[in-house]
Amino acid sequence: MNLLSYIIINIVETLLRMMPLPTRTGIIRMGHPGKDSPVLLTGNYHLTIARVKRALKGIDAYLLVANSRGINIWCASAGGHFNNHSVISALKTSDIEKLVNHRNVILPQLAATGVETRAIHSKTGWKVIWGPVYAKDIPEFLHNGLKKTPQMREASFPGTARLEMAIAWAFPISLIAVLIALPFWRQSIPYLAALVWGMALLMFLAFPLYSRWLTAKGRRIGFIFFDFGRGGFQLVLWGVVLIGLIAYSLATDQFSGGFILRWGFASLVVIIVLSMDLAGSTPTFHSSLSEDRLLKVYLDKTKCRGAAFCEQVCPRNCYQANKEKHTATMPRAEQCIRCGACIVQCPFDALYFRSPKGEVIPPESIRQFKMNLLGKRLVKPGG
Amino acid sequence: MSTYVLMKILESTASRYDRGLRLLTLGRLDRIYEHLTSPIKRGQKVLDIGCGTGSLTLRAAAKGATVKGIDVNPEMLSVARRRAEAARFSPEIEFAEMGVAELGSEPPESYDVVMSGLCFSELTADELAYTLKEINRILKPGGWLLVADEVRPQNPLKWLAHGLIRIPLVVITYIITQTTTHAVKDLPEKVREAGLIIKSLKPNKLGDFVELVARKPERQ
Repeated sequence: MNLLSYIIINIVETLLRMMPLPTRTGIIRMGHPGKDSPVLLTGNYHLTIARVKRALKGIDAYLLVANSRGINIWCASAGGHFNNHSVISALKTSDIEKLVNHRNVILPQLAATGVETRAIHSKTGWKVIWGPVYAKDIPEFLHNGLKKTPQMREASFPGTARLEMAIAWAFPISLIAVLIALPFWRQSIPYLAALVWGMALLMFLAFPLYSRWLTAKGRRIGFIFFDFGRGGFQLVLWGVVLIGLIAYSLATDQFSGGFILRWGFASLVVIIVLSMDLAGSTPTFHSSLSEDRLLKVYLDKTKCRGAAFCEQVCPRNCYQANKEKHTATMPRAEQCIRCGACIVQCPFDALYFRSPKGEVIPPESIRQFKMNLLGKRLVKPGG
Repeated sequence: MSTYVLMKILESTASRYDRGLRLLTLGRLDRIYEHLTSPIKRGQKVLDIGCGTGSLTLRAAAKGATVKGIDVNPEMLSVARRRAEAARFSPEIEFAEMGVAELGSEPPESYDVVMSGLCFSELTADELAYTLKEINRILKPGGWLLVADEVRPQNPLKWLAHGLIRIPLVVITYIITQTTTHAVKDLPEKVREAGLIIKSLKPNKLGDFVELVARKPERQ
C-alpha cells in the first residue's frame, strides 16, 4: 500500500471513526512467511488492519484477522464483540494450523479484557502472547524476543490521538447539527458547524491542561451528562464560551438578548453532547456513562503468587511484579481505568472488583459478562 | 424478512428476546420453526447450532429427541436453560457455551439432525464453510440439516427492495447495539459444496429468508 492511499484511509476513517468498518477476516501474508514465522492476530476493523500492515512492513509474518464486527480491538473486547470465541474461530476455521509449526499467537494487549488465555489454550492448544498496545511497537517487540518495555504496555493520549478523537466526534455531530438547523435556521449553518468543530478541537487538544481536575469518582447528580467532574467542567467551559459570545457580539455590533440566548443555548447543547462521554473517548479514563467507573480493583495478597499477568496486560501500568518474592503490588492504583483486563487474566483469581457498597464482583462474572453500549454489564446483582 | 437484523437489539437483553422477536415477526418465525422441525422423530439425536434462547431446541425436545444446543452467548443460554426447566425438558436437553469453531470436538457420524435458526447469518465466510464441513462430518449417513436464515436475494429487484427496507433498520440496530447481521450469500451452493444434498428450499416472497432442508448421502 502506498503512502497516499494510507493517508486517505486515515483521514476518511477518522471522520467515520464512530462507525464500525469491517474488513475481510482470514489470513494475510506479510512478506514471505514460513513455517516458523510469527502469527499475529487482531480484529477486523479496517483502520486497524491498515495500521498493523504498515507497522509490519519488511517483516515476514502471518496476520490473522478475526471477527471483531468491524470494531476496534479495545472497544470490541470490552463490549463482548471480540471474545474467546472470535479467537478460537480464527485459529480453527482459517488454515493457519497447516501453515506454521509452532502454536504461539500474538494478540494485541488491549484484547486482554475480553479474551482468556487459559480458554484459548485448553480449547485450541495455542498459547497466547500479549503483544504491545500500539501496532507501531510490534517490530521492536518481535526484535526483543517478545519482551515489552513498560512504555509498550501503556495506553496514552498524545496530541495526534486527541486530534483524531476531536475529528471523530466533530464530524458526525456537526453533520447532525446541520441537519437539525436546515429547515428553520439555515443562515446559522456555517457558524453552527464551526462551533462544533471549534469546541471539539478545544476540548480534546486542551485535555492535558484540565484533565488533572477531572475525577472518575463523581457521583450521579441530577442527570448523566454532568456526572464527570461533577458538572463543573462543562459549566466552566460554557462560561468561557458565553464570555466569548458577548465579546464577539459587542465587537461586531450584533449584541442583543436574542443573539446571546440563541447561541448560548446552542453552545450549551454542543458542550453537553461533546462532553457526554469525554472520559470514555480517552484511553486514560473509564467511561463516565458506565457504573463500572465506581468499582475498585482489589488484590488478595493471600491468593497472589506473582504470576505477573496483571503487569503484562495492564494498559495503565498500575502493577509492579516482584519475580523473586512471587508477589504483585499496585503502586500506581490511582491510574486504574477499570478495564478489568487484570481480573480476567489472573490465573489465581487474586484480583476482583469491589463496588462502593462493598459488594464483591467475582472474576467469573467479569470474564463472562461484558459491557453493552449503555455501560451495563449484562449481569444482575447477585446473579 | 429484513426485520431480523433488529434481533440484535433484543439480544442485548436476552430476557426480552423471545417476546420481542415474536412481535417483530408477527408470529411468522414460530410457524417457520414449527415447520422446519417437522422431520424430527422420537429418540433421534439433534444438534442445534446457535440455539439462542432455545426456540428450536425446545421444539425438538418436544418431539422426543435428545438435543444439544450450542451458542456463544452465555446470557441467551441462561434464558434457554430456564425455559427448558420450565418446560420440564431438562433431561433431554444439554446446553453448552460453544462456538462453531469447536464442532471439531463432536464425534463423527453422531447426529441424526443438525439444525440452525438465524445463526449462519452471523458467521464469517470462513466460519460458515468450516461449519458446513463439520456438519457433514458429524451427521450420520442419511442425516438431516435444517436451516432457517436470512439470505441475500438472488433477483436484483428483490435485492434492491430488501436493501431499501433493511438499511434504516440496520442503522437503528447499529446505534443501539453496535452490531449487525449479514444475510448469507449463496447458501444453497455452499451447502452443496460441503457434500450435502438439498431436499427442499423454501424462500419467502421477497427472497431474503429461506428454509433449507438438506440430507447427508446414505453410505454407498
